[in-house]
Amino acid sequence: MKPALYAALVLGLVPLQTSLVHYLSFVGVRPDLCLVAAGLIGFLAGPVEGALVGIALGFTQDLFSAGALWLNLITKGSVGLLAGLAGRQVTNATLATLVITMVSLSALENLVFLFVVRGGGDLGDRLSALPSILLPETLLNAALGAALYWLLPVRPSGEQEMGRRPIGMVG
Amino acid sequence: MFRTTSGTRRVMLLLCVLLLSLVFVLPKQSRSLLQGIGQPLAQLLSLPMTALAALDRGVQEAWYGYLALHQVSEENRRLQRELQALRGRNNELRELGVAGQRLAAVLGLKERLKAKTLAAQVIGWDATNWYRAIVLDKGSRDGVKVEMGVMAPDGAVGRVVKVMPFTAMVLLITDPNNAVTGLIQRTRDEGIVEGTPEGRARMKYIPLLATLQSGDVIVTSGLTGGFPRGVPLGTITRIDKAEGELFQSAEIVPEVDLHKLEEVLVITDPLPVGDGLEPPAARPGPVSSEGRP
Repeated sequence: MKPALYAALVLGLVPLQTSLVHYLSFVGVRPDLCLVAAGLIGFLAGPVEGALVGIALGFTQDLFSAGALWLNLITKGSVGLLAGLAGRQVTNATLATLVITMVSLSALENLVFLFVVRGGGDLGDRLSALPSILLPETLLNAALGAALYWLLPVRPSGEQEMGRRPIGMVG
Repeated sequence: MFRTTSGTRRVMLLLCVLLLSLVFVLPKQSRSLLQGIGQPLAQLLSLPMTALAALDRGVQEAWYGYLALHQVSEENRRLQRELQALRGRNNELRELGVAGQRLAAVLGLKERLKAKTLAAQVIGWDATNWYRAIVLDKGSRDGVKVEMGVMAPDGAVGRVVKVMPFTAMVLLITDPNNAVTGLIQRTRDEGIVEGTPEGRARMKYIPLLATLQSGDVIVTSGLTGGFPRGVPLGTITRIDKAEGELFQSAEIVPEVDLHKLEEVLVITDPLPVGDGLEPPAARPGPVSSEGRP
């Protein structure tokens, strides 16, 4: 079941992202469905699944992006991995912890893009991308992630479903 | 697949680390490897992408149809029922008329343009927010290659940066990573046209002695970028001439509305300098043959 779901995500999300997601755009910025999916999967299913699905989604996204063929592959893989690691640190996965994770990971990924894609531009150009791309996309990703998490029919709670150590919020 | 032992997980993580190392240590080789893996995947994805693009057009047409009908008052409901059928047909015919005009414009441009071109449809936008790029429904199987220029009836759109068997990515002229050599049509001064983060374009490296005016038209110079000479790039709206600098620059509004692109022409073979766009028969085009070297 899971592999089929992941395969469907890999094959279905990028066509959606390139053609229909503009309906969800806010100030001309669209949410990143692949980031949300990689983050959610990592957060709920663990770092290995998150990283693997993130890499597959990122690679597919790279095929339909003007950037280099490795940028999304690495960043989405990292998002899945880090979301998984973050998910391991919480005893009870709640909406708030997910939103914090999504905001952090989305901002981190966009900062990587800022330095890789706009690295050659002057400081003013780079700073202008913060309110025009980074902030709206981060908010959209977190909102979409939270909405999807809320809609999930089965939400894991506690260490039993998560298969994780009962350690609570630890540093 | 995902019910794995810790040993399998370690192997998976090791594979991931190896893949990432390959990307950084052997960038060229890894790029061709990724391209090799990606081509069949892109081929597979082009089908749902085309279908979703068609669905998107349908949704947009339905939405605008709904908006057009929304303002009819309740008193006219009975009449509206009769009218609705007619309006539906009228909308269909109007849409067909608009599509016909658009295609005629593309065809007219194709006839005026001496360069060899290939008509393509826009089926999507870049998968991230960091590039201003569009996806075309034509790819390497149709003869599209990287660095080819892309234009609409009004002017230049961008250049091809990535090609898959059935699709191609086009980086728009408003993207900050894009650069095309431009020519000020009136003064014949050259410069580099780059995109700006605000979604406009800017012409840089214009000689200080050039007498620019707001409203001057910038066209492609034909020297680089896969375009023939004379394809309109945009119109100057602001001139920046800072004291002590060696060059002046100008802000440009693109000639083409890049948010409403549906059909474009890929320039598969631009002709040498001087053999660019011919003026249309009815009214003079944005570029004349005057001033050619």
